[in-house]
Amino acid sequence: MIFDLQSGETPKEITGDVCVVGTGPAGVTLALELARKGRSVVLLEGGGEAYEESSQALYEGAVIGHGHIDVAASRLRQFGGTSGHWTGLCAPLDALDFETRADIPHHGWPITRADLDPFYARAHPYLDLGPYRYDWEDWRSIVPFPALPLDPTKILTDVYQQSPPTRFAEKFMETVRADPKIACWTHANLVDVTLADGGDVVTSVAVRTLDGRATTVKAKTYVIACGGIENARILLNARKQRPAGLGNEHDLVGRFYTDHMTIETSMLLFRDDVDTRLYPTSLKYDGAEILMGLKVHPDVVKARNLNNNSAFLVADYGDAVYSDDFRNYGWVAFSTMLKTFSRGHVPDRFAERTCDVVDDLGSVATGVYRHALRRVLPEKPAQAFRLRQDAEQAPNPDSRVTLTADTDPFGLQRIALDWRVTNEDLLRLRRTHQFIGEQVGAAGLGRLQLGVSDPPDPDIAYSGYHHMGTTRMHADPRQGVVDADCRVHSTKNLYMAGSSVFTTGGCANPTLTITALAIRLAEHLAVSA
Amino acid sequence: MGKLTRRALLGTAAVGAFGLAAYGGGRVACSFVPRNHPDFFSLLDIPPDGAVARRIGEGALAEASLSSDFDGLAAAMKLRPLIAEAVATDCPTTRRQLVQDQCAADFAEGRCVVIDGWVLSETEASLCAAKLLRPSLI
Repeated sequence: MIFDLQSGETPKEITGDVCVVGTGPAGVTLALELARKGRSVVLLEGGGEAYEESSQALYEGAVIGHGHIDVAASRLRQFGGTSGHWTGLCAPLDALDFETRADIPHHGWPITRADLDPFYARAHPYLDLGPYRYDWEDWRSIVPFPALPLDPTKILTDVYQQSPPTRFAEKFMETVRADPKIACWTHANLVDVTLADGGDVVTSVAVRTLDGRATTVKAKTYVIACGGIENARILLNARKQRPAGLGNEHDLVGRFYTDHMTIETSMLLFRDDVDTRLYPTSLKYDGAEILMGLKVHPDVVKARNLNNNSAFLVADYGDAVYSDDFRNYGWVAFSTMLKTFSRGHVPDRFAERTCDVVDDLGSVATGVYRHALRRVLPEKPAQAFRLRQDAEQAPNPDSRVTLTADTDPFGLQRIALDWRVTNEDLLRLRRTHQFIGEQVGAAGLGRLQLGVSDPPDPDIAYSGYHHMGTTRMHADPRQGVVDADCRVHSTKNLYMAGSSVFTTGGCANPTLTITALAIRLAEHLAVSA
Repeated sequence: MGKLTRRALLGTAAVGAFGLAAYGGGRVACSFVPRNHPDFFSLLDIPPDGAVARRIGEGALAEASLSSDFDGLAAAMKLRPLIAEAVATDCPTTRRQLVQDQCAADFAEGRCVVIDGWVLSETEASLCAAKLLRPSLI
């Protein structure tokens, strides 16, 4: 069921077994899984069923660190959350990402990849992905193109899968509406968390609408699933009973903010006879759309003190027909609308997207023209490629979300994001590319020209808009905000869901892990809540 | 529209067959013609005496690990087994392959340099340096 707190009579109190705050991939997945297990769920969404500027404006804040990032437009405050504009690339984190590493401080989760594997598999249908297979060996016999003949003890062929991408509002809103175990309230903004006097048990959360209506939600268990920035903001603002903020007894909430450094640099030139058809575009086989990249073997990553990275090969075609330089907001809007219409739905933010198309009509026309030509012209494989990656950052406590003096209409302090892009992270990427270049040379396939300078230029790094790490998971309360079950260490019944609990970011896009962790949390809460 | 006659069909087929034979024969003949396209240069899409190769040569000479005079460089190159073998062979194709193999061996054994951003084997960097020291080379 979906109710609008802004219309009709405002309930004095809303109750349920579990209160889930946020309707993005984490919140919706968690709610559906819990409902399936017979739990009554109160699902709160601060925005409406669709995009609203007044609600979205609550996300505004300051950027005080590395500038190539945004804190408002990169997120969506509406039903479905930021799944409304994610790009859909998916992969699980690697086993290495979960390990404690002697060479990188603060690295390592209290759980392993094997712990998450069953939940990753269950997350796949939520995201409309193919079979849960990410090892190139599982695809080698299916895909008709060969991998580059590189030493597999040095460089691996990495497999990612492409979600359509799944828009959670489009896919799950009616399911939620029809589910009697879920009471979803839109325009219900969490403004306070109340603990039992002197205790560590959350007894209620206060909820308000922008037009002044207020109510209280009471549940046995509470889960905050509002994204990597907002999760920290909510805890830091909850200072009524915990002066430093809820869960912030060790000054960790908001720290360790990590993102993926989206960087497209370095050039690989291959010999004319090298078959590169496996890499530049996604391929559809066995019910999956897969995209392959190059990954340095984890043993080498550790031995050479590198960060994890998966480099995709972006073809640099001599012929403009094969260039994708028409891809801008207009093209993305056009492409999204086309895909949504083809599935029999009307795209959300229809007017906005239409205007994007109108604004960039030239690019859209170029894109349509080139796509048509590519269908009839003979294929011309590229031999020059740029390396594109969402590169990992080492955990950094100085990279953080803090509160500013500026407040929103509810009186909650807004955030400042101090995203740090360090020279060491960029130099590790340079060494990663150099290693790839050496291996390509050793195999006699070509040469690589490095694009990361030494000393590095941080301006090459852009946010992947993957906000992670601000309520990180760690077994030790002095090193993490939540425990291995995603429970805030200093409370008995408050949990965090989403990428804020990531201890490390790895190099995989986070949505699959967010969804898998939500299913895992649902299993835990179904027993304990 | 003219009538399609047997004569016209045969004529077209003959022209086609002649064209194919000429093209195929040409390809076969060309396969015996040695080309002066050292792969480690053509791979970089630069001519041997191009600006990039010169910068690589300059960078290589600035590397402390490489000799900075031509004779020293040549002597060091000949110590590499595949280069020594390449110098002793007359066949340009074999020579080219041996140089490429030496470059690959350099990479595999960690004898790499980064010059002007390029991740290169010491062998090809040395060749660029040699070309710079003695422009009449090659």
